[in-house]
Order: sequence, then structure tokens, then C-alpha cells
Amino acid sequence: MNNAPIIAEQLARHFGDVKAVDGINLTVNQGEIFGFLGPNGAGKSTAVRMLTTLLRPTSGTARVAGYDVVKQADEVRRNIGVALQDAAIDPLMTGYELLELQAVLYGIAATKMKQRANELLERVGLTAAADRRVATYSGGMRRRLDLALSLIHQPAVLFLDEPTTGLDPMSRLTLWEEVRRLNREGTTVMLTTQYLEEADQLADRIAIIDHGKIVREGKPSELKRSVGDPTLLINVSREHSDAARSVLARFGDMRPTAEGTLGVGLRGGAERVAEVVRALDEAKLVVEHLELNQPSLDDVFAEATGYRLEGADNAPQAG
Amino acid sequence: MRRKPADTVRQFVALSRRSTLAIFRQPALVGPSLIFPLFFAALGSSSFSRAISLPGFPKVDSYLQFTLAGTVTQGVLFGSVTGAAALATDIEEGFFDRLLAAPTSRTSILFGRLAGSSLFGALQALIFLLALLPFGVTVQAGLLGYVSIVVAGFITAFAVGALMSVVALKTGSAEAVQGTFPVLFILLFLSSAFFPRETMSGAYRHIADFNPISYMVEGQRSLSIDGVSLVAITQTLVIPAGIAVLTTMLALRQLSVRLAAR
Amino acid sequence: MSTGRSVGILAARSIRNIRRLPSAFFPALAMPIFNMVVFAGTFFAVTKIPGFPTDRSINWYMPLGIMMGAAFAGVGLGFTTIRDIETGFYDRLRMSPTSRMSLVIGPLMGTLTRVVMMTTVVIAIGIALGARFSGGVLGVLCLYIAALGLSTIGAGWGLGLAFIFKDMRGAAIMQLSIFLVMFLSSAQVPLNVMDGWLHTVARVNPATNILRLARVGLVNESNVDHLSFGAVWGGLLAILLMGGLSLGFALRQLRKLSN
Repeated sequence: MNNAPIIAEQLARHFGDVKAVDGINLTVNQGEIFGFLGPNGAGKSTAVRMLTTLLRPTSGTARVAGYDVVKQADEVRRNIGVALQDAAIDPLMTGYELLELQAVLYGIAATKMKQRANELLERVGLTAAADRRVATYSGGMRRRLDLALSLIHQPAVLFLDEPTTGLDPMSRLTLWEEVRRLNREGTTVMLTTQYLEEADQLADRIAIIDHGKIVREGKPSELKRSVGDPTLLINVSREHSDAARSVLARFGDMRPTAEGTLGVGLRGGAERVAEVVRALDEAKLVVEHLELNQPSLDDVFAEATGYRLEGADNAPQAG
Repeated sequence: MRRKPADTVRQFVALSRRSTLAIFRQPALVGPSLIFPLFFAALGSSSFSRAISLPGFPKVDSYLQFTLAGTVTQGVLFGSVTGAAALATDIEEGFFDRLLAAPTSRTSILFGRLAGSSLFGALQALIFLLALLPFGVTVQAGLLGYVSIVVAGFITAFAVGALMSVVALKTGSAEAVQGTFPVLFILLFLSSAFFPRETMSGAYRHIADFNPISYMVEGQRSLSIDGVSLVAITQTLVIPAGIAVLTTMLALRQLSVRLAAR
Repeated sequence: MSTGRSVGILAARSIRNIRRLPSAFFPALAMPIFNMVVFAGTFFAVTKIPGFPTDRSINWYMPLGIMMGAAFAGVGLGFTTIRDIETGFYDRLRMSPTSRMSLVIGPLMGTLTRVVMMTTVVIAIGIALGARFSGGVLGVLCLYIAALGLSTIGAGWGLGLAFIFKDMRGAAIMQLSIFLVMFLSSAQVPLNVMDGWLHTVARVNPATNILRLARVGLVNESNVDHLSFGAVWGGLLAILLMGGLSLGFALRQLRKLSN
């Protein structure tokens, strides 16, 4: 009944006592870009390694492209493309040689190999660099080559494991554009990332994984709405801080913010901002700065896990 | 800046202590230089038991007796690479610069570093002498012979350590120092450490005749097989001491090159 | 058919790296030459021991150099595989639908090509230094077979350890174990010349049989170990048996890599 390209049921992987992935259920639908979001060590890489046949589950099952990842590993391998974290490629080989190797390993006919490799090089803009050793490539070029490698056999399902970690904003945008294009052409994409921005920009649906468990799942817009009220942030001088806090607390629950800033989840939303300002004014409090933030994926993440995603703030902005 | 001699001594002692402790805290690094020579000695005692009656061999009871000096020298040569590699690691990790930034005497940095491996060289010699004792291998020259061989271990380790320090100071790379290891191995094999020169022939014999390691080993060998003689003690002690003077000069020069480049 | 192509391209990668990473191949070539020269020079007189099967020390130590080189070239495959595992490149190979057998056999073919090159160079230098084949072409062939067989055993062992340890700890065990197995054999002197504990160990060490096979074409024609079925079958059997075991070990560990 369910022929979604990725289905995981109670999928778990333990390393000794550590439950790296602790029984996750997951469905990725045909034609979706699915974002798998979590900090380092949350279990997302372990989950992806199981879905891509690199690691056997301790318990539970997973079907990818219609095949069981344990019992039909070779069928799964034939139908998925995987771009690995850190673009794991042999620096001594040239881009073309790597494509050739990949083509042979995936059983692409010798007669079609050259044409296919050239198409892909063209597609990721590496035609000119094809005969250079990978050691001379920039980070962005490596990722693009990695992507080309994962596409050699025109897979129905594409796994991208942190595809833009460490890339500059320009390279990141190029890669995002390519992923969107692939998706328009019908490829189902599962993307793991620790960048909220990336998940927000690309993913139709996302799942947040923390301590081996999926803690939220849904469309980004729905998830953001579910967090509820926007956050009103104000700055007042230090001596007025306590007085301002008691005023704000009347309008909603106080929220964790950066040092020196007060934040409140504003019940009733934007229309009540004027009311807050009047109340602060009546209390003779001088507001130095005020802003209203609509909920972001970061808020969703904080609400789901109790902490903010490290590194999300200093991720290069590319929007 | 002038330094008081007393300070230099104190700095030397402190740095020696550090380098000595460093050696004993890295059993994985120094272990092989104790085990491999003994392994080869054991191998030789079985393989070459019938070789000792060949013409050119001195009169000995066992190959083990013959190879004692070779075993000691082999162990000390390999062990001394460790100390110099540690110096290169100091340079790599910036500890060396920290020492230079402090008003530490320049030579005490070098000699302090070498003190550890020199002591270890003496200890190795002692360990090999004791380890072979249960197999009936004794030093005929008695206490004087034992002491001479242990002292030779100290000097040899110092000499080789200084030579390796030249590489360490020049390259600042522990890997480069480890990389010179095969060179020591070749030098050792191109000597009379394992078979007498008298049994060799052709070009190989000529090389062994020129190799100072041959004479160093033969001095120790004579102490262990024949007993006390002035020639044997001279060969045992003066040859490594001469090499030590030479390599120390090279190391000090390389140190000042490094200092000037700062 | 597709397995054959995979084997071919993985072998090609390994062979290409001889040129691209000469710093890795050079020591693999220098070590056997060096071993041959210093052993033959230092133990020059060893052939004068009564019962020694040849009167040229280079005849005895040239095969030793080659066999040490072959064994280390074999475990060298373990080294490069550890590097591939560490960079993540090996994940890429494992994720491909090609047969697991070709992931082992392909790189092995590359290693064997290196061993053929090394053996050829060392034989040429050995002959220049005075080595003489008493067993003619067949004797040369036996030396090649022994070298290829031993490096296959080493490769299986090295790969298996690489898959178990996945980092350079595995490399230390590879080197040490090969070193011990090679020296606790008839490496330095023949069985009939050695005494005591080593004789006991070397007699049952399969490396002794393989070394005998390597030397059949270089010992005196009158010696029992000269080219004959009796002198070669032990080595061939050891290669088949140990080679099969070690490759099986590698394949099993490769499959367990996903556990």
C-alpha cells in the first residue's frame, strides 16, 4: 500500500550502550525534498548510513526505493545516489577518472560512459577541471563533483549528507539551485543538515532529530506556526531590566534570549505591540531597541529540544 | 645577556629531567628498541650457531657471545632516534620557541634534550648485558668491561642523538627524523656488527673497513671475548666520543642557524 | 562481466598511484634491494657452512629480499585501504552495487602488478650482483609465483585487519605480524643449518615452504630443494591454503564492516 521512496519503521542503531538512533519512523514521499535536521551527534548521520546500506540496523526496518536496506542491499544501492559528508574523494584521481570509476562500479555500459560523464561534468560546471587532480579543487568544486558522482546512474532517490557544510555563501547557493533543479526533474531528495536556513529554503518537509529520536516532523511553515506567538525583543538600560521584565511578563511567557535583551512570547501577536509600548511608557521605562520576531525554525528547534542549534547563527546567510 | 653558570646548570638539570621522563613515559616508542635487538640476537643464535666455526670468526662459545656487542650497538642506535624525534616534536609544537623565548641557556636546551636519550642508551646497554647473562654470555674483561660498555652506550646515544638533532633542527619535522632511521640501519649492516669483517669480501668488505661502527663494535667484542686490553677500551670509548664531539659541533652550529633565522 | 570491469578499474586506480604517489612506491622497491644487498654482504660467509644449499650468498638472499618486499607490498594494500576508510572514500566503494569480491580482487590485482615490477627489478639487480639461476626459466617462474602468492596472503591479511581496526593501529599489527612470520622461517639460513628453538618454529611455519618455492631455481642442482615436485608442492599448497584463508578473512571482515 505504501510505496514511498523512503520508509523507516522503528529503525534503531545502538553502539554498545549508546542508542545513536533510537527507533525512528519516517516516510519520505515521492518527489519531496525532505530535510533531516539536527546537531552533530544527534543520530542523523547514523540514520543515513543505515538508509544507504553502509550500516546494519540493530532493530527495525527500512525500505528505500522499494527495497529492504538489509535483505536487498544491492537493489537499494542500484537505485540511490549518495553525496557524502566532506565529499570523500581520492585526491590523487582526476574528476573524470572518478566519474569513470563510479560508472563502472554502477555497471553503466562502456559505450554510454563517456557521454554520461561529460554530461554530468557540464551540468555541475566542471568540464574545464575534468582532467585535474581532485587535490587541486576548491571545497565547492569537490561538492559539485561529489554531486555529479552520485548522479551517474540517474538514481530515483538522492541522499545529500550535509552538502554545504564549510562552503562559502556563493557555492552554497549554486548547490541549492542544483538540488532544486534535480528535484523538479523528479528526484526525491533526503537532505541532512545542521543549518536551519538550508532546511527552511529547500525542504518541503523536515524532521528534527535529537538524541536519536525524531522530536518534530512536518512542513516548515506548519512547524513554525505550531510554535505559536512571535517573540518580542526589547533592550532597556540595565537598571530598568527588572521593572521591564515584570511589565513584559503580563503579555506572555518570557523566552530565553541573548544577554542584555528581554524576550517575551507575545500572546495575540503583532497587534498587541502598541499596547506593550504604552505599558512600558507608563512605567517610565526608556526602550532602546525593540523588535518583533516571527517564529523561525530555530524557535521550533528550541521548543522541541530545549536548546538552540549550535552554529545556526554563524551559518553564512545566503538568502 | 649574560647568564650565571649556576643558572645554566639548573636549567640543564630541569630539561634533562624532562627529557628523561619523556622517554620512560612512552613505552610504545622505546619498547621496540629494546625488543628488536634481543629478537635478532635470539634469531642469530639459532641461525648462525654453526657459523662460528667458519674461518674468520674469533673463538667463541656461541654466536650469542659473538653478537653481544652488535646487539648493544644496534639497540643504542635505534633508541637514540627517539630522543631526537622528541626534539623535532618540541619544535613542531612550539615548545622549543617557548624555551627560546625564556632566558634559558641555548646549549642547555640541546644538551638537556640529549641527556634523556643518553641515559636511556646506557640503560639499554645494561639491559642487554643482563638479559644475555642467563645464556652464558659474559664479558671477559670483568667489571671494567661492563662499565666500559655501559659508558659506551651513553656516549653513542649522545653522539647519534646529536646527529639526529641536526636533522631535527634543520627540518623541524619529527617525521624527517624518523625518516633517517633506515640510514642508521644501513650503516649498522655495513659494519662488522653481525659477522666479522674477516668473513666479508669485495666492496662490502671495504665499506665495513671504513665504517667507524665496525671498530666501535669490535672494541666491545674484544672486551667481551678476550678480556681487558688498552686497544679494546680505546676503541670502545674513544671512537664514539670522537663522533660525539663532531656531531655536537654540527648540532650547535645548526642550533645557531635556527636561532639566527628567528 | 560487470565484476570484471570493476576489478579492472580498481586495479587501474592502484597502478596509476605508483606514478602519482611515488613516495609510497619507492620504499617498497628500495627495501627489497637493500635487504638483498646487506644480507648477502654481511652474511657472505654463511654459504661455507657445511650443507648450505648454495655457494653464492646473493642466490640465497635475493629471494629473501623479494619475498619480504612481496609480503610488505601485500599488507601495503591494507595501508592504502585504511587511508580510504579514513577519508570516507571507501564508503563510496561500499555503497556501489558492485560485488564485494571485486572490491577485494580489484585492488589486489593492482598490488600484484606492483609485485611483478618489484620482483623484476630486484632480479635484474641481483643478477648484476652475481645471482645465478640454476633452475632456468622454470626457476624464475617459481620465484614469481612465490612472490605473487605471498603478497596475496599478505594482502588478504592486511585488508582484513584494515576492516577490523579502520585506523593506523591496524597498520602496526600488519607490519609486526608479517615481520615475525617472515623472520621465524628459513629466511636467514636453511632448516638443515639452524639449531634449537628457531628450527622448531620454522619447520611448521608455512613461510618456510613458500621461501623454499622461491629458492628452488637458485639452490645447487644437487640439493634436495632444487627444482622438483618434492621441493615445490609444499609452497604451492601453502599459497593456496593461506591465500584462500586470508582472502576469505578479508571478505568476511568487509561484509562485517556494516555491522
